Amino acid sequence: MSRPYRPATTGWPLLLRIALRQDRILAPVAIGVLVLMSVASAAATPGLYADEADRVHAALAINASPAIVALYGPVLDVTSVGELSMTKMTVLYAVFVAVLFVVLVRRHTRVDEENGRTELVGGTAVGRDAPLAAALLEAVVLALALGVLMAGGNALSGLDAVGSLAFGAVWAGTALVASGIAAVAAQLSASARTCAAFAAGAVGVEFVVRAVGDTGPGWLSWCSPLGWNTQVRAYGDQRWWLLLLYPALSVVLVGVAVTLRGRRDLGSGLVAARPGPATGSPRLADALSLSIKVHATTIVLWSVAAGAMGVVFGMIAPGIGDLLDSETAQSIIDELGGALVAAILSVVAVVLSYFAVTVVNHAGRDEADGRAEIVLATATSRTRWFAASAVVALVGTAWLLVVTGVGLWIGYVAADGPGIGNLLVAALAWVPAAWVVGALAVLTLALGVRWTGLVWAWPAGFLTLTLIGDLVDLPGWVKGLSPYSHVPSVPADSWSWGSAGGLTAVTAVLLAVAWWRFRERDIG
Amino acid sequence: MDNEHVGAAIEIRGLVKTFGSFRALDELDLTVEPGEVHGFLGPNGAGKSTAIRVILGLLRKDSGEVRLLGGDPWADAAELHRRLAYVPGDVSLWPNLSGGETIDLLIRMRGADPATSRRDELIERFSLDPTKRGRAYSKGNRQKVALVAAFATNPDLLILDEPTSGLDPLMEQVFNDCVAEHTARGATVLLSSHILSEVDRLADRVTIIREGRVVESGRISDLRHLSRSKIVATLTGAVPDLAGTAGVHDLSVDGRHLSCTVDPDGLPVVLTALTQAGVEALTSTPPTLEELFLDAYRDRAGAAR
Repeated sequence: MSRPYRPATTGWPLLLRIALRQDRILAPVAIGVLVLMSVASAAATPGLYADEADRVHAALAINASPAIVALYGPVLDVTSVGELSMTKMTVLYAVFVAVLFVVLVRRHTRVDEENGRTELVGGTAVGRDAPLAAALLEAVVLALALGVLMAGGNALSGLDAVGSLAFGAVWAGTALVASGIAAVAAQLSASARTCAAFAAGAVGVEFVVRAVGDTGPGWLSWCSPLGWNTQVRAYGDQRWWLLLLYPALSVVLVGVAVTLRGRRDLGSGLVAARPGPATGSPRLADALSLSIKVHATTIVLWSVAAGAMGVVFGMIAPGIGDLLDSETAQSIIDELGGALVAAILSVVAVVLSYFAVTVVNHAGRDEADGRAEIVLATATSRTRWFAASAVVALVGTAWLLVVTGVGLWIGYVAADGPGIGNLLVAALAWVPAAWVVGALAVLTLALGVRWTGLVWAWPAGFLTLTLIGDLVDLPGWVKGLSPYSHVPSVPADSWSWGSAGGLTAVTAVLLAVAWWRFRERDIG
Repeated sequence: MDNEHVGAAIEIRGLVKTFGSFRALDELDLTVEPGEVHGFLGPNGAGKSTAIRVILGLLRKDSGEVRLLGGDPWADAAELHRRLAYVPGDVSLWPNLSGGETIDLLIRMRGADPATSRRDELIERFSLDPTKRGRAYSKGNRQKVALVAAFATNPDLLILDEPTSGLDPLMEQVFNDCVAEHTARGATVLLSSHILSEVDRLADRVTIIREGRVVESGRISDLRHLSRSKIVATLTGAVPDLAGTAGVHDLSVDGRHLSCTVDPDGLPVVLTALTQAGVEALTSTPPTLEELFLDAYRDRAGAAR
């Protein structure tokens, strides 16, 4: 006789308090930045256009460009100010919302479990489902906070109040679905990194399914929660009922997670860990080969994702060719975030910079946990240990941009696109900027292991700077602080040796300072 | 032979290491002679691991002299590390590397060849499953991985930081045998621990530290007073007067209950006296290190006054 699994959630209030305390910096800063972006867009966009005709023209230009639609989703109501203002927020920034909530839920479930903190807590009067319950409750609280702040901020910036309420609900809904995804992913594998890969993969699929749906078979957009973000038509003729789908889907996902949780042991996953080799390969003999081995799966997953993203956007891009002929259209698209392929690459480059960040963050965890100590107590010098992570971070990022470029090119050729220059060069143009960001992450770790948590802030910080800079007209030198701002929009602009050389030189200097500092400081 | 001439395996003079305003090591002295097992004792937080990290060149000293195998551990870390093996107190492994891979990696990183090492024999003796992934090992098994990697080759110096804290008694025996085998071939061992009995079994000399300072240092036999037992007994008959008995300290009597600490030499006399009085319950425990340190400090403070 089988009894239904009953969740044991005793002790969740304490865990919720601990979780909120742990996130007392990350959550407010991330939510603050997201709301700030939205508010800045809402406040600035109307001023960019002289009159309604101008706005409609811009909205039509967006809809006419499959690449932009693939990236941001279509503007369903071309007369709506709100919808045009929220072009980037609706889908693309919603991905950042999803990532934030995956990070938060994973942090309090699988990461704690892997570190043994869950075991520590499990020994006390705390039910075994309490950590998941606390993580999800925290997510609900923060999702509601995000939604309310968004709605209020947008309304105060002059957008329609009812529409702003609907839009806030859309973001809260995105957060809830992402939390459900993370809850399921946390049950599948024994590894926190594989959990991250599953969850990121699911969000990636959401995005790609919607991108394909928005530019092709429309029904596909309805299969993706990110597609619903557009279909709610927050600033048009609202489809309120659609908002129910988000909580419904997240309840289903949480149900799946709880059921899966009931079928596995603490510390294990449903996907059983295979036994490893009893002896080590002779090639695994130094810090660099260790770093490559440790990140091998991550590199493969990122490569597949980067290549797939490249192919999808490459196939969509040819529709832009006609648009390029019209000068007004091009300038409008420029205002909305760069030209064509370059616009896609500017986002991809920031995302791929996070590969370097994860590698450096991993090195920081190796140091904090004592694995660096074991290695440095062998004949491995500090320089070698340090270089191993820096090399994998920077070469890996360059490799991923190459993969993206090749993917773009394959997709573009497959879709019979007209010649718009070498897409591989377009992707490579972003390498030096991504390197600067990677080198800043390396420098952060070199300053001291306790700063490791800050490495995540670099790409997001520079992206925020660029986006806010565009909207509120910051002085040029402030915008220039972001390495991404120095990259020419290849293929719309031509390759610049000055930019590539300058950024590479900055990378070299940052790495040299980092190396010098790391050799002088305490380990651990 | 003149020790000054041969050179100590580890030589520390007046070592100071601070973290912010916290003085983790305060004028620490430590000399480990070649070929000896040197016990490094102290309660948790005494600075044992900090001292070991300075010896390994992982932490930068603020002042003092540190020599490791005749070299400077900060400047020549990588080169000196070829000649030693280190087992940390809390072993953290790579989650997705198997135990066998980790062992071979660490052996190779020290410049040795796993194929010609004793890894297979040691894996057998420690009954370790080398195919498990790092994340799947318990604390004891993670420690075994590090121990196998350390014992597999023939380093001049073994630095072991609380190496048995996760091992069961059977494995502790294997550990003791391994240490004996390495010292038999002339290796030097620095064994940090907070368990007095473990050090008592293995070490030739000990250094005891507390709050970053040396409390005691010398041959185990000279520190016999450290192995006093605490005796608590409930008696059926009249409580014998032990106040004048040699080797009895801290005596207190409360009705039929008696407690005292006894030097090893005094034990036969005390036990005989108690048995004659009729024993209802009796426990005998070695004093904790913390108690000994408190005693040592109390004595010193008293003497200074």
